[in-house]
Amino acid sequence: MLLIGLLFGIGFGFFVQRAGLCFSQGFASLIMGKGKRILTIWFIILIVTSIGFLLLGLKPIGQIRGAGFFNILSGIIFGAGIALSGGCVLGTLRQLGEGNLFYLIVWISFIPGMWLVVKVLDPMLLKNYNVQNILIPQLLSIPAGYVTGTICVIALFGLLIVNKKK
Amino acid sequence: MRKFFSTYWIMAFGFAVLNVFMYMSIKKFWIGGSSFLPMIGVMGDNNKFLFAFVVNLGVILGSFIGAKSFGEFKLRMPAGKDLWKAVLGGALIGVGVTLAPGTCTTSFVTGIPMLSVSSFLSAAGIFVGVFTVYNWMTN
Repeated sequence: MLLIGLLFGIGFGFFVQRAGLCFSQGFASLIMGKGKRILTIWFIILIVTSIGFLLLGLKPIGQIRGAGFFNILSGIIFGAGIALSGGCVLGTLRQLGEGNLFYLIVWISFIPGMWLVVKVLDPMLLKNYNVQNILIPQLLSIPAGYVTGTICVIALFGLLIVNKKK
Repeated sequence: MRKFFSTYWIMAFGFAVLNVFMYMSIKKFWIGGSSFLPMIGVMGDNNKFLFAFVVNLGVILGSFIGAKSFGEFKLRMPAGKDLWKAVLGGALIGVGVTLAPGTCTTSFVTGIPMLSVSSFLSAAGIFVGVFTVYNWMTN
C-alpha cells in the first residue's frame, strides 16, 4: 500500500510541478490583481474533483473542532505561515523537489509547530472541545448534487470570466 | 510534447483526474496537514498518517522528476537574511495543520470538493491569515 501511495505521490508531484501550483504564491498574485493563472487552476480542479467525488460518494475531511473556532484559528495561523514562507504545503514540496533548499528548512520547521500542538496543546484542548465531521449537504439539509452543482456553475462562470479575452 | 507538459491548465486537469482516480481506486484522498505527523513520531490508526506521509514524499520525488526532465531543476541555497521567514513560517504551518485536522491548502483541492464543512472554515481562515501577512509584509 505504501508503494501505491508513493506512486500516486509521484504523479501528483509531477502535475503540481508542471502546473507550477502553489496557493501561497497564487494568493499573492491574487492580491496584486494578477490571479488569472491560480484561479484557472483552482476552478479546473474544483469542477473535475467536485463532480468526481460526488459520483464516488462524499466523505468528511478533517474535523470541526470547538464549533469551528479552532478551524478558523488554525486556518489563520496556517495562512500566516504560508504567506511568510512563500509556499503552501504543495508549493513547499514542489519547490523542494525543484532544488530550492529554502523549502527544506520550511519543511523541517513544521516539526516544532506540530510538536507544540500534539504534545502540549492537544492534551489540554481535547478534553474541552467537541469534535464533529459534517458535510455541507447535512448542515443545510439539501441534496449534495445541488451544492456540487452550484459550486461547479460558479467555478465555470469564474473560469470564463478570468479567461475572457479583452 | 514539451508544450503539452508545460500548459498549466492541462497539468491542473491531470492533477484533478489523478485526485479522483486515487479516491476511486483505493478510497483514499489527497491530504496534506496530518500527513506530516510521522515527522514527530505519530503514525495514526492503521498507519494512516504514514501512508499520507509517503504520498507527500512522492510529491517531492515527482516534482524532482518533472523539474529534471524539463531542465528546470536548479540547486538553490537559502539566503541567510530570509532564514527567519522559513523557520517561523514553517513552525506556523506546523501549528496550523495540527490544531484542527483538515487545515491545509489541500482543503482547496480535496476538502471543498468533498463539501466538508471543516475545509470551508479552514479556507476562510487561510484567506484571512494570508491577506493579513501579505499586507503587513508589503506595507
